[in-house]
Amino acid sequence: MTTSDSDALAALCQFARLASHADLVMAVEVDAGGRATWAVSAPALPSPSFNLARSGILEARWTGEAMDAADFRLPTAIIHALEGRPARLLYVPAPSHGAPLSGLLLLWRSPPAPAALTAQVPLLATSVARLLSARREAARGTIVRNQFLDLFESVPAGIVLIDGDGVGAAVNEHAAELLGCKAGDHRAADLAGPMRALRQRCDNHAELELAYRAQINNDQFAAKQNWTLGERTFEVDTHPVRGNGAHGRIWLFTDVTADLLMAAELRRLASSDPLTGVPNRRHFEECSAQIIAAREANGRAVAVLMVDVDHFKKINDTYGHPAGDEVLKVVAKRCRDALRERDLFARFGGEEFIALLAASAVDEIPAAAERLRSAVAADPILVGGDRISVSVSVGGAIGEALPGGDQKLLEDLIARADEALYEAKTSGRNQVRMAALQANLIDL
Amino acid sequence: MCVKSFERFNGRRSGAGKAVAILSHGFGTDQTAWNALRPWFEARFDVISFDLAGCGPQGAQTYDFERHGSLFGYADDLIDILDELDVHDCTYIGHSMSGMIGAAAAVARPELFERLVIIGASPRYLDDDGYTGGFQPQDLEQLFESMRANYQAWIAGFAPMVVGVEDSAVVADFSNTLFQMRPDIALNTSRTIFTSDLRSLAARVSTPVHLIQTAHDVAVPVAVGHWLANAIDGATLDVIDASGHLPHMTAPDDVMRILEQRLAGTAL
Repeated sequence: MTTSDSDALAALCQFARLASHADLVMAVEVDAGGRATWAVSAPALPSPSFNLARSGILEARWTGEAMDAADFRLPTAIIHALEGRPARLLYVPAPSHGAPLSGLLLLWRSPPAPAALTAQVPLLATSVARLLSARREAARGTIVRNQFLDLFESVPAGIVLIDGDGVGAAVNEHAAELLGCKAGDHRAADLAGPMRALRQRCDNHAELELAYRAQINNDQFAAKQNWTLGERTFEVDTHPVRGNGAHGRIWLFTDVTADLLMAAELRRLASSDPLTGVPNRRHFEECSAQIIAAREANGRAVAVLMVDVDHFKKINDTYGHPAGDEVLKVVAKRCRDALRERDLFARFGGEEFIALLAASAVDEIPAAAERLRSAVAADPILVGGDRISVSVSVGGAIGEALPGGDQKLLEDLIARADEALYEAKTSGRNQVRMAALQANLIDL
Repeated sequence: MCVKSFERFNGRRSGAGKAVAILSHGFGTDQTAWNALRPWFEARFDVISFDLAGCGPQGAQTYDFERHGSLFGYADDLIDILDELDVHDCTYIGHSMSGMIGAAAAVARPELFERLVIIGASPRYLDDDGYTGGFQPQDLEQLFESMRANYQAWIAGFAPMVVGVEDSAVVADFSNTLFQMRPDIALNTSRTIFTSDLRSLAARVSTPVHLIQTAHDVAVPVAVGHWLANAIDGATLDVIDASGHLPHMTAPDDVMRILEQRLAGTAL
C-alpha cells in the first residue's frame, strides 16, 4: 500500500539524514519535465509542488559529493522548508519508472564537516527508486480502483461481476436492489441463490430457465434476455469479461421498461389511423396475415366483413367535412365496441372499414355482422347541434385458412366480401349480405 | 538567457530610471492595477511589471493548480523572471499576495532585492493564539462557498467591500479584472492565499522592508501590519488614514508621498 511505501521512504530519508548530518533530506519523485510530483522528507514537512527543471540540480554530474549550493537555483519552497538557504547540497539520482529524474536531495545549512557516511548515501539509490516506483504504482492502482468503483456505481444498470476464479463477486447498488442483497463484495456462491430467486420471480421464468440451462457449463457464453418482472422488463446481458470466461463474468441488468413502452407507442402511432384511432390498412394487412397463419394450424374459419357508411357523400355535403369526420369516428367506435376484443378492425380507406374475424363456428359470422350494422344504426349521431342518422352496409365472406394460403385467402375474402357489400348497397343499404359459403365449409 | 517567463507572464518594461523597480500586483487585479502609480515609478526607475499566474488576459495558460497551490510557486515564477532579465538589487513593490511572494523570494535569493515595499500584505489571514489575522475558519468557508456558488454574484459583493471607498471607477476596474479570472482559478487562488501561513518567513527576511497599509482594510487588519513590522527586522510601517485594500488605486497620492520619503536615495 501507498502508506507503507511512503513510510519506508520517510524512514530512508531519516536514515540518510543521520548518516550524513544533513539538515534536510527529501526523496523526490521528478517527472521528465523536472516537475516534482511527490516528495517526502526528514524532518517531515508539507510538500508543496515545485519544479527542478531550472534548478541546475538535474543536469549536474553527481558523484556522491556534496556541492556548493550557491551554484544552484533552488525552489523557494525547499528553502522555506530548510528554514534558510543551504550551504551545500547533494543529489542522488534514483530514476524510477515514469519519473526518470527522481532522487534523494540532501541539504546542509552550514558547510559540513563531511560526515564519514555521506559517501555511502548513494548506495540507497536503488532502494529509493524501487520504493518510489512501488508508491507510484500503488497510488495509480488506488486511482484506477476508485475510477472503477465510481463507474460501477454511476452507470444506470445493475451490475454483478463474478471474478475469474469464480470465488469473488461484486454487486453494485442497482443490482443489489434487484437481488435483495447488499451492494459491495460477495462470495460468488452466495449470489447464486438471489440470482435464481430473481429469475424465478420473472413472468417468463420458464423460457429463461430453458435458455440458461443449455449454457450451464459453458463459461464463454454470452446472451441477452429480457426478464419480465410484472410491469418492469430488464434486459439482462451476460458475457465473459473481455471475451474470456477466465477473466470472469459480467451480468448487466438494464431496465428497458420505458424503452419497450416507447417502442410500442411508436408502433401504435405508425399503424393507426389518425382520425378514428383504429388500425390503418397497412396494419390490418400485417396483422391479418398473422391471424390467418395462426388459424392455419387447425384449419379453422376466418371471415372478412367490409363495412361502408351509407350516403357518406351526402353527409359531407349537408353537414360539412368536419361533421363527416366526426361521423367516421363514431362509426369506428361503435363498430369496434360491437366486435370482440380479438377481432381485428381497421379503416380500409375513405368511409370504408374492414373487420377480420376468427370464428369457431360459421354461423357466428352473420350474427357478428348484424351486430355491427345495428350498433351503427341504433341511434343518430350528435354533431354540434345536428342529429345525423347514419347506417352502414356490410358485406361478408367466410373462408378456411389453409397452410401457405394466407395471402391468397385474404385477397379472395376481400374480393368476395366486396361483392356482397355491393349487393347490400343495391338492395337498399343498411343491410348485411354474406357471400355464398364454399361447399367445404358447410359442415363446420 | 531567454525571456520565456517574462513573456509568459505578459511582462512589460518601461521607464527612464536605471535602478529596477518590480511591480507585482495582488489577488483579483493584474498589472493594470499600477496604472496610477506607474508614471511616478517610470520617472525614477526601470520599471518591470507582469501578471501573476492565473491573472491577466493569459491567466488560464499560466496557472498550474499544483505549482500555484502555494505562494512559493509564485515566488519561483518571480525569481525566474528576475534571473532571465539578469536583474538584481531591485526595488520590489508587491501588493497583497505579492507581499509575501516577494518576502519568500527575498529569503531564497537576497541578492536579487535591494528593498521590498509591501502594500496590504498578510502572512496569515486566520486568527491564531496571540495573532489577529482577521478571519475565522467559518468566514473563509463562507467566502469559498459563495465564490463557488455564483462567481459573478460574489464579485458584485466582494469588489466594493475590498475597494472599501466610494470609488466607482476602481470598483469597476477591480470587478473587471476579477471577471477576467477563470472562476475555478480564482477560487483556488483565494484558497491558497487565505489558508497560507508564512509567519515563520518574516524573521528570515534580511532585505530592508517598507510596509504600507490603510487604517481600515477588510482583508488585512492594522494589527497584521504591526505584527509584520515587529517580526521583520528593521521594517518600517506607514498606515494611511484611509479605508480599502487597494490604496495604490484609491489613494495613489498618499502612497506616492510615502514612497517619496521611504525610497529617497534609491532611485536615480
